[in-house]
Amino acid sequence: MIVEGVYVFTAPPAVVFEALLDPGVIAKSMPGTKELVAVGPHEYRGKMMVGVGPVTAAEFDLRIVLTELTPPVSFLMSVDGTGRFGFTKGQARVSLEPDGTGTRMNYNADLQVGGKIAAVGQRLLDVVSRAMLRSGLEALGKEVEDRLRGVGGKA
Amino acid sequence: MSEPIRIAVTINGQRVRGAVEPRLLLSDFLREDAGLTGTHVGCEHGVCGACTVLLDGEAVRSCLLFAVQVDGHCVETVEGLASGGALHPLQAAFRDAHALQCGFCTPGVLLTLIPFLRDNPDPAEADIREALSGNLCRCTGYANMIDAVRRVVRSEGGS
Amino acid sequence: MTAPAWVGRSVPRNEDARLLTGRALFVDDVQLPGMLHAAFLRSDHAHARLVRIDAAAARARAGVRAVYTAEDLGDYWQRAPLLVPPPPVPGLVFNEATQVPLARTKVRHCGEPLAMVVAESRYLAEDALADITVELEALPAVTDLDAALGADAPLIHEELGTNLAAHCIQRKGDWAAARAWADLLIARKFRYDRGASAAIENRGVVAQWDRRAEELTIWDTTQAPIPIRNGLAAMLGLRESQVRVVAPFIGGGFGPKIMMFYPDELLIPWAAMRLGRPVKWIEDRQENFYATTQERLQLHDAELAVTRDGKILGVRDTFLHDTGAYDPYGLTIPINTQCTLLGPYEVPNYESEFTVVFTNRPIVTPVRGAGRQHGVFVMERLLDFAARELGIDVVEIRRRNYIPPDKFPYDHGILFQDSAPLTYDSGNYEPVLREAADRIGFTEFRRTGQATARADGKRLGLGIVSYIEGTGIGPYEGARVTVEPSGSIRVATGVGTQGQGHFTTFAQIVADALGVHPEQVDVSTGDTRSFGWGTGTFASRGIVVAGTACHEAALLVRAKALKLAAEMLEAAEGDLQLADGRISVRGSPGDAVSLAQLAITANPLRGAVKPGTEPGLEATAYFGPARGNAANGVHAMIVEVDPDTMMVKILRYVVVHDAGKVIHPVIVEGQIQGGVAHGIGNCFYEQLVWDDNGQLLNASLMDYLLPTALDVPTVEITHRETPSPLNPLGVKGVGEAGAIPTGAAFAQAVEDALAGTGIEILEIPLSPSRLFALVQEAERTHRR
Repeated sequence: MIVEGVYVFTAPPAVVFEALLDPGVIAKSMPGTKELVAVGPHEYRGKMMVGVGPVTAAEFDLRIVLTELTPPVSFLMSVDGTGRFGFTKGQARVSLEPDGTGTRMNYNADLQVGGKIAAVGQRLLDVVSRAMLRSGLEALGKEVEDRLRGVGGKA
Repeated sequence: MSEPIRIAVTINGQRVRGAVEPRLLLSDFLREDAGLTGTHVGCEHGVCGACTVLLDGEAVRSCLLFAVQVDGHCVETVEGLASGGALHPLQAAFRDAHALQCGFCTPGVLLTLIPFLRDNPDPAEADIREALSGNLCRCTGYANMIDAVRRVVRSEGGS
Repeated sequence: MTAPAWVGRSVPRNEDARLLTGRALFVDDVQLPGMLHAAFLRSDHAHARLVRIDAAAARARAGVRAVYTAEDLGDYWQRAPLLVPPPPVPGLVFNEATQVPLARTKVRHCGEPLAMVVAESRYLAEDALADITVELEALPAVTDLDAALGADAPLIHEELGTNLAAHCIQRKGDWAAARAWADLLIARKFRYDRGASAAIENRGVVAQWDRRAEELTIWDTTQAPIPIRNGLAAMLGLRESQVRVVAPFIGGGFGPKIMMFYPDELLIPWAAMRLGRPVKWIEDRQENFYATTQERLQLHDAELAVTRDGKILGVRDTFLHDTGAYDPYGLTIPINTQCTLLGPYEVPNYESEFTVVFTNRPIVTPVRGAGRQHGVFVMERLLDFAARELGIDVVEIRRRNYIPPDKFPYDHGILFQDSAPLTYDSGNYEPVLREAADRIGFTEFRRTGQATARADGKRLGLGIVSYIEGTGIGPYEGARVTVEPSGSIRVATGVGTQGQGHFTTFAQIVADALGVHPEQVDVSTGDTRSFGWGTGTFASRGIVVAGTACHEAALLVRAKALKLAAEMLEAAEGDLQLADGRISVRGSPGDAVSLAQLAITANPLRGAVKPGTEPGLEATAYFGPARGNAANGVHAMIVEVDPDTMMVKILRYVVVHDAGKVIHPVIVEGQIQGGVAHGIGNCFYEQLVWDDNGQLLNASLMDYLLPTALDVPTVEITHRETPSPLNPLGVKGVGEAGAIPTGAAFAQAVEDALAGTGIEILEIPLSPSRLFALVQEAERTHRR
């Protein structure tokens, strides 16, 4: 499943990049994430709850690793989620470029979905992933805004 | 695990009591707790229709209901169709028309047709096919089920 | 004998009253005191190394009695036996790799079992599945058949060093010469894709170990209770007589229920013995898509060499067959394909080569048709294309190639799935074709009907195809017939019944021999305690092999009864007649004795009997046919295709078939109607959709579409009877017939409806979106 697109922040790339590396922010940008803690440099583990059609409240053990970090331009995020209802595995390439005083973020992710979620949730995977992406990006945008205004804390 | 909930259901005219988990499916309650194994389970996701029973006279998928939902209600299963030693006219018609082979989907089909015929005493073939379209059968190819319905309609003089 | 014959009549079925009133016992209906329930943890990955599995938390959950992983099985962990050794075709390569009870080092398909939880209820067992931690290291999945054979393809069975499961070539005559001599060569590539058998009853096993009697009872939704008993007894270290396997009423078999030994069949009895409590496992529908076998994917590259008159000079077919992750059923399916391709035709030169490939998908074993539909599809399509290019009509090209009725028995010169030479016993094909063409109105349709409809904007198409179904193979079945003191007759045989009416048809056969009513004949099938010798219900052989055994046994009982009656009535055997359950002297109706009385007399409690006498009126007989026989038929259909939505509606479906003597016309028609429904499903509604990672994307009936009453027309069926010389009843099998040529008929009909678009249908299944894509592609090619 390919998930790609663009999002524009009002903050400059350096602020956005720093925010994207913050596990607290990452957690907020993935709806349903219950906890995300650092277990190593740029490596995080946590739990995430997802609902896809008839498979409701599927809990995933999440492992996220950030590599190929080139601040403030790009990085690669590897996601590994396993749970009772299936698994998801994928990589997202994120790159930032200035957009006036703000930042234009390009993201391109290739996600593999397997197990029960893939077996019975197919027709909804698209819809659900888009919905999650939308609310995730909104949360991300808000986090970045708060940082810019010096409001709220780093996780 | 949750506390069992007391329920009382009238099944085929008899009051049946139980103490069940909220998540117990009606199909499992009927088959295991009430010992009525005539209702069969084919998919547990409401598509095949094998688990069809009557709830207060209307056809429902017992795999999509929880036992607690029918507390105080009336359920009819295939075991309640024949009376005394005699088959229900629809059952007899199924036998006469060879409308069953392995018999696994049959109880669900019978319970689907009973309210249908009650509400449509003289159905056209297209209507019968549509009424049956929610019951999957892998053995018969449906043709004889339609024939069986026609026999019942004919013998009851269209009523 | 003045009593009417029962064979040939459509009597009401003996089993119906129980089935209709919900009193019939299916495996999930078995409820035993103290019964535990099992659930399986299954792999989410199609190909992965099993790094670690930890069931400690699951074991600790309240209500859980045991959790087993491969390690817990100890010496009991073993690969299942190979069920069907490959036939002795010269040069054949076969790599055996059978399934395991629980994955030990790696998993090879989605849904492969990793652990078994046994708990107080199925709900609790499923809860406990989430407590098991599994670490699977995903490996690249093998899903493409060509890529699987590539040099750097990931290996599914490392010890084999290849993903090639088998390679086999069967030859007849000289294909190269035929090719050189041909006036026309038709070459095409075909694809026939996977489907599930999807019986409405999923599989299940219940096992109970009686510690005091030291007996194990197993209820299993199997089509082969006797081999299951024999195999499990051996594996569990028990005597065969200590194990009873019961296949009670079964909610549809269709093939996958004859596959054995499924992991659950191996593990549930073992667990019951260890835990000292009965254990039940019932498959749920989602599991069924992985845990029960399926069939169909083959890729063909075929060529037909014909003369300008449309006479077949030869066929060459090279194909790949997907066997899934393991190959316990040997080469039955692809050999069926090889043989069935020849159909009812004279094919003087033939070269058929197949390669069986392992993939990371569930195991493939026979499903109704068992590889025959692929052979029929290839041959019928090649003939259709040849007919079009030669300007011969589709009926005529078939007629010209039929084996003439005076050439039987006809030896094709290659080996069949029973390892015997493929020989057709009897047949008379032309009248079948003519009748089908008449009934569907072929000539009128071609002359005016189709064009008239076109003018009205309706795209109608006609398909008419011919097939052979090899049925009634050995090795053997047996039956025991007993007259009880009450006068009722008891029949026991080793095959099982999954809806095809054995309780009635076998009763009819015995009733004829013993002059009683079929209602007085009680038939027991599928219980190893009632009858312990036999192989099972598969390959359309029940009535042929078991039915004949019932017939032979009944005749032996009849002979015993007449001999005893002759003594009692002091008459010559030749003067006796048997009717209505009584033997009487012809012309002297008062001199009579009932079968009941004879049965009692034949079993004295005291006194002396003549040496060599057997007590009672009972006999056992076995029947093993010299080889399988060949049933045949023609399917014809008229479809209407909506040019905008590409939705296909079947307007008429005609079947003219010949399965030898018909025991019960309505039951035979039911088998054909049901088979056609299955075939329609395979053609147009059902497709198992896999992604490149071996994930099944439609593992539910919401997305795997079984045909409904709105999708299956009432088939117009005509029987013809060319008896088989291979058994005394003259019967041939018919269980799979309806499903076999449906794909070929569908393709021809839809192509005919879409004539003018340039479309060629080389694949099954189709769907509205696929047809749309094919039409677009064809139009693009035409424009160039």
